[in-house]
Amino acid sequence: MAEEGHHGSGWSRWQAAGWVARRELMEFVRDRRTLVITLLLPMISYPILALATTLGLRTGVMEAEARLAPTTVMVVVSGAEAQPFIERIEAMIAATDSSGRKDWPAETVFKDIPGTLAQEAIDSGAADLWLHAERGLIAGLDAEGTMSITVQASTVRPPTVAARRQFLALIDSFSEEVRRRRIKAAGLPATVLEPITLRVVGDQPHGELPVGEIMNTVAGGVLVLLAVLTMTGAFYPAIDAIAGEKERGTIETLLIAPCSAHEIVLGKFLAVFVITLATLAANVASIAATSAVSLKLLSAGGSPSLALATAGGITITLIVFIGLAAVGAATCLAVTTAAKSGKEAQNTLTPVILLVSALAGAALLPGMQSNRLLPAVPFVGHVLVSHAAFMAAEAEEATSIGWLLLLSLSGSVAVTWLLLRITAVMLTDEDILFRGQDSAASPLARPSPRALPTMVQGAIPPIMGLAALWYAQAFMPKELFVAIPVQQVATVLLPLAVLLWWQRVDLRQTFSLRWPGRGDAVSAGMGLAGGGLLGGGVFVIGAAALLTFRGDSLTPEAKALSARLVEMILGQSWWLSWLLIAVLPAVCEELLFRGWALAAFAGRRRTVGRVALAVLAQAFLFAVAHVLPERMPQTFVLGAVLGWVTITTGSLLPAIIGHLVHNSMPLLVLFASDCPPDMILEAGSGGLPGVDAASIPVWALLAAAASVVAGALLVQAAARVR
Amino acid sequence: MIEVVDLVKDYRAGDGSVVRAVDGISLHVAAGETVGLLGANGAGKTTTLRVLATLLKPTSGTARVADYDVVADPVGVRRNLGYVSATTGVPDRLTPREIFTSFGRLHGLDRDATTVRVEHLLDALDLASCADRPAGRLSSGQRQRISLGRALVHDPPALVLDEPTNALDVLGARDLLAMVGQLRAEGHAILISTHRLHEIEHRCDRFVIVHMGRIVATGTRDELVADGAGLEDAFFVAVSRRAL
Repeated sequence: MAEEGHHGSGWSRWQAAGWVARRELMEFVRDRRTLVITLLLPMISYPILALATTLGLRTGVMEAEARLAPTTVMVVVSGAEAQPFIERIEAMIAATDSSGRKDWPAETVFKDIPGTLAQEAIDSGAADLWLHAERGLIAGLDAEGTMSITVQASTVRPPTVAARRQFLALIDSFSEEVRRRRIKAAGLPATVLEPITLRVVGDQPHGELPVGEIMNTVAGGVLVLLAVLTMTGAFYPAIDAIAGEKERGTIETLLIAPCSAHEIVLGKFLAVFVITLATLAANVASIAATSAVSLKLLSAGGSPSLALATAGGITITLIVFIGLAAVGAATCLAVTTAAKSGKEAQNTLTPVILLVSALAGAALLPGMQSNRLLPAVPFVGHVLVSHAAFMAAEAEEATSIGWLLLLSLSGSVAVTWLLLRITAVMLTDEDILFRGQDSAASPLARPSPRALPTMVQGAIPPIMGLAALWYAQAFMPKELFVAIPVQQVATVLLPLAVLLWWQRVDLRQTFSLRWPGRGDAVSAGMGLAGGGLLGGGVFVIGAAALLTFRGDSLTPEAKALSARLVEMILGQSWWLSWLLIAVLPAVCEELLFRGWALAAFAGRRRTVGRVALAVLAQAFLFAVAHVLPERMPQTFVLGAVLGWVTITTGSLLPAIIGHLVHNSMPLLVLFASDCPPDMILEAGSGGLPGVDAASIPVWALLAAAASVVAGALLVQAAARVR
Repeated sequence: MIEVVDLVKDYRAGDGSVVRAVDGISLHVAAGETVGLLGANGAGKTTTLRVLATLLKPTSGTARVADYDVVADPVGVRRNLGYVSATTGVPDRLTPREIFTSFGRLHGLDRDATTVRVEHLLDALDLASCADRPAGRLSSGQRQRISLGRALVHDPPALVLDEPTNALDVLGARDLLAMVGQLRAEGHAILISTHRLHEIEHRCDRFVIVHMGRIVATGTRDELVADGAGLEDAFFVAVSRRAL
């Protein structure tokens, strides 16, 4: 319906939204079960989690420290010069200030015994080590030669690591003392032995635990957990706010109030956002308290001090998580709006929470920090930025984190706004609002045939494909000419086939199986040519843009893939490479993304806003399906362009041609020029080692730009409906 | 006050086929008049009333309330319309006073005006004794009176009631319909739909009987009912004629 807003002015609109939010919050605070789950659960869950990990860590730290702590070392000395040696080394120990030295034994007891008893002494445990001082040892030490001293440990009862290490440190110090004595005897200054004085700043003291690394890992894990639990704070309130209202029959009462759908959604979002923030606060408070207790428990065992983040880092982390709370609340609202009942909303939202967990966890993967656009991507970006801020200790890191923070907040605002727009559209969608209850048929019974898949069904195959991609790693053949078809089948065709079997649809409508344009040969030709020109142009411009931004900062995974592709191309005939790199992905992926997913998201009533969102949503899934961060920006743009082409021409064929040309470009350039194949292929993946955008000739860039413009004009001219 | 002209509403079924739920219905309800919209389940009553309530968009035709068009100015329609249906619920965890207050403020009433209006409604609808109890603990009759109060909180000139007595027992239904009579006396235009014909036989000024999306008969009770028969007989006659 046309929505003209509440009472006209902007302030009145906020007042209307405020009243919707207030009503929502009043209901929420009276739902004790949800209140407990949302706010009190974090206060209980962290201590339980921390108790196990802290006790384990404490035990580990204490054991490690026990292994490293100064100990008493018993040494039996045999041989003709045992006693003089003992006197010399004891004199050295007495003359040295050993207070605070952790590398020396706390106490060293030397005992002069006959050699016949020494072996028994170490085997019985009465002594840790046996040192044999041969005749001439002392004189040799005072002369200029090198004396050989044998220290024997028992093979029956070996000494502890600490005893062995600390005794060797003691002998090192003794050796040092001998050197100084020799220098003095030779009339040289003591500084002869100290040409360099080295001062290492910021390094871990020798023998201590790598605290920085431990904190980095722990902080990353805690931030992922915090992201997931903050998101779950929106879970029940979002279900209650829209799906619950539908179930109770109260949503109609709001929809017939003089508010627009946007005001209602804004009000509900504010309420869910407030509750999510409260959950975040409860989680943060619980983490802080739990950390304080954990650190106290750890330090009670005499552990090294564990440094916490700076106040600035914590503040940035909190700001980033406020953005995450907004995106989380908006995501939950959007997902539950598509549901008719609370149960249906739960079923839909649970996999979304799992997906969010995976996204948040992905931030800890190696190489993710190097991607400059990821901070703007929800959840993965939130954890990335907050992790960087949390671990930042130096002031100079603040500038880069400020930029990351800005990117993260911009991404959060944009995604939240987009999700709220989608929610407002879905809230008044007649199909969603008034369709019947869930089917009571057998769980194996397929739903009734539909013209197009539902929005949820549209998103399922790409998500199934991602899961399949993960599992396929275990049995994926190493040879790419086998792996590529296996990957296409497992991650694209199989999920699509499952959904096609489950939900019978009108194949012609869903996959836009018709000639592009208005039915005449001219517009069909223009549509196909336009798709091809766009695909080729996007490849070249995308490669140049990515080279400019990324240069040679490729992840090892991208480099490995590039190397394998080059190997395959050089080892196979050109037509097989073309089939695998261009034809197969163009057909399979277009059927899935520009066919199934786009049709599902765009639906039957295609308003401009909904179509735009559908194009962007399928492009996002298309980008994510390409996994490597380097490839995501270009694949997103390609997906969006091909989505627009499909919608405009009413046909999937131009998109297939466009994808085909895009993927053929590396091979085309490779065979038409003397450019090294790995450079060409990596351009498609988003970067060239040691090569920058200037390597692409200006004429090529101009031709690509002209190709894009001409392609867009041709596609527009071939528009199905003018 | 309420005017529907050549209203058509199509639904698209899941398989892509088109189902016409309302097929050219026209009706009007003047101020101080109560019109009964009668029909069997699936006749198109609820769809017509949902279009008037701006919950559905008409495929063609027009629907206006207080001269506001449901498509061109849905917010204007909502300011002048009170809507209660059998499926309309009340928030279980809020009290009647809170429900009325929140909707009063949503309709743009200021705090003082809302307070006065809420107290008036609580008294008029016999809800004062349970004004501060959660609605979830109240009876079906009380909950339906809350629904009616929620629809009246902004004192709209037009009321659309879609099977409002469905969940009520005989006493509850009688009380509610008595209130509807009172509202008509106060000058409200009321369009009420039901398939419990006996309840409204003597309470409406005119009737519109719909069947399979079309109007099959319209007029006052006297015009529709033959001597010695009842409204139910007239309904059967109208529907059977159409079926033939």
